[in-house]
Amino acid sequence: MASKKKQLNPEEILQKARLVLKTWTKSENLPETNRIDLHIDAADIKPCVQALVNEKWGYLSAITALDRAEFETVEGTGEKKLVKGKGNLEVLYHFCSGPVVATLRVALDYKNGKIDTICDIIPSATLYEREASELLGIDFKGTPSSEHLLLPDDWPDGVYPLRKSFTGLDKKQKTKER
Amino acid sequence: METKQAPEKFVVAIGPQHPALKEPGHFEFTIDGEVVTNATARLGFVHRGMEKGTEDRNYVQDLYLMERVCGICSHVHALAFALGTEKLAGVVAPPRAQAIRELVGELERIHSHLLWLGVAAHEGGFDTLFMYTWRDRETVMELLEMLSGNRVNYSVNVIGGVKIDVSKDQIEALKYGMDFLEERTKHYMKVVTEDETFLGRTRNIGLMTKEQAELLGAVGPTARASGVERDVRVDAPYAGYDMFPTKVICEPAGDLEARFVVRINELFESYRLVRKIVDHLPAGDLTVKVPRRIPEGETISRVEAPRGELFYYLRSNGTDKPDRVKVRTPSLCNWASVLTLAVGHKLADMPMILAGIDPCFSCNDRMVSIKRGNDSQIWSWEDLRKYGIEYYK
Repeated sequence: MASKKKQLNPEEILQKARLVLKTWTKSENLPETNRIDLHIDAADIKPCVQALVNEKWGYLSAITALDRAEFETVEGTGEKKLVKGKGNLEVLYHFCSGPVVATLRVALDYKNGKIDTICDIIPSATLYEREASELLGIDFKGTPSSEHLLLPDDWPDGVYPLRKSFTGLDKKQKTKER
Repeated sequence: METKQAPEKFVVAIGPQHPALKEPGHFEFTIDGEVVTNATARLGFVHRGMEKGTEDRNYVQDLYLMERVCGICSHVHALAFALGTEKLAGVVAPPRAQAIRELVGELERIHSHLLWLGVAAHEGGFDTLFMYTWRDRETVMELLEMLSGNRVNYSVNVIGGVKIDVSKDQIEALKYGMDFLEERTKHYMKVVTEDETFLGRTRNIGLMTKEQAELLGAVGPTARASGVERDVRVDAPYAGYDMFPTKVICEPAGDLEARFVVRINELFESYRLVRKIVDHLPAGDLTVKVPRRIPEGETISRVEAPRGELFYYLRSNGTDKPDRVKVRTPSLCNWASVLTLAVGHKLADMPMILAGIDPCFSCNDRMVSIKRGNDSQIWSWEDLRKYGIEYYK
């Protein structure tokens, strides 16, 4: 059974997302005609997701975690070197509705990379949260399972491979428990 | 004193080796008698760290790396990456290239759906259907090899276009192949909707309502078989899908049978699209020039893989290497639905329910090199096939 779908104007869909999340938005950005980025506080993630779900605005397509580390150029060689202690983590919640992608952006500290889980609102987010927590060390408070999803069982604690500072396990870590 | 006894739980561990599927995954089903009461998954047995790997390679190298994320839907991965990179670079591939991208995408969908049909039939104990579909799948595999030189990892995309063109002879071969497959697919549709024993394994099994599908975030044919009208090709047309649009194929029933019917109907739609594209292939160039260093920025690239929405997030930092590539494959979305659906079903239905979402399988090699002393010999696919037929005579 094939059916014809009524097409909403991308701009209208985008406006609706903006309106629904207005209360919590700190700043917004329209990088492409079908995309809207909304910066919010970590504490507001639950009400934002709940508002989108209540309004039936699209679906959670993915959660991307980023390490926004800062680099400096080494004089002479032109090599890029990581600046320790600077930069931050960022969690992106991508919601899709038709052609539109609305991204909730939350910046987190390296030291205190905590954010509330959204699994009680969207149960399928558990796999995305587990991935982000083990690969980038983001602590999702209240997430139903924080067991290893992708990394081996004997992977050392506190080592997050997708952080920019990670360049490989050292000898000591490799021999741990093996 | 009365001793309290906890209700006993019996856990059946399936996998990681060959958990009814030819792919490593580990499942634990808690059962009460024959009925499953809980299900959990452990993935990552083939986690290769590709997202980290992209940060150390340039965009061209990454294109080849991303094509190898999956052995079945390799083209869509390279396509999503190429489209995203082009968006960041501010270029658009020429119309002929976009049409060829769609053409290969649909051929890939045909091969993937036929492969799934065979695997699902096999899980249901219907090996005759498995043999027939895989025999017919060779038609589309050979067409893909004719176009690109490869049966898997066709490597059709480059950043800024495609590297293959379609000749007149190839168009004829494609049409001939589509006609043959269409006839065969009509027969398969009849089998999966009328065969009494097979229906016993599919009808009303693994039911997922539209509300559940939406809540669990199911994508692709799994969601469309529950009446969720969601298809990136229609919702947000990419590559050639604005020139050659497709229709959303939906079924309201939400059981395993509906998942068969949706995928088979998508096959018919793909045959139609392939014919339409080769008949109206736009003329012109195959590539545009793309700078080696990609300007700073970030973008999202979504394409419809055979299994559902494939999501790429790309972030560039102004160099020739990306800063972050995030891949969210459709199977990841569909796992959640399987684990929830499993509860309340018989353990014997698990292989079919697992196979019902069409999780990814690995693919086969096509060349064999035999070394005997100094004498080295490379067998072509044709040689290998002849050898196989002779061997089993």
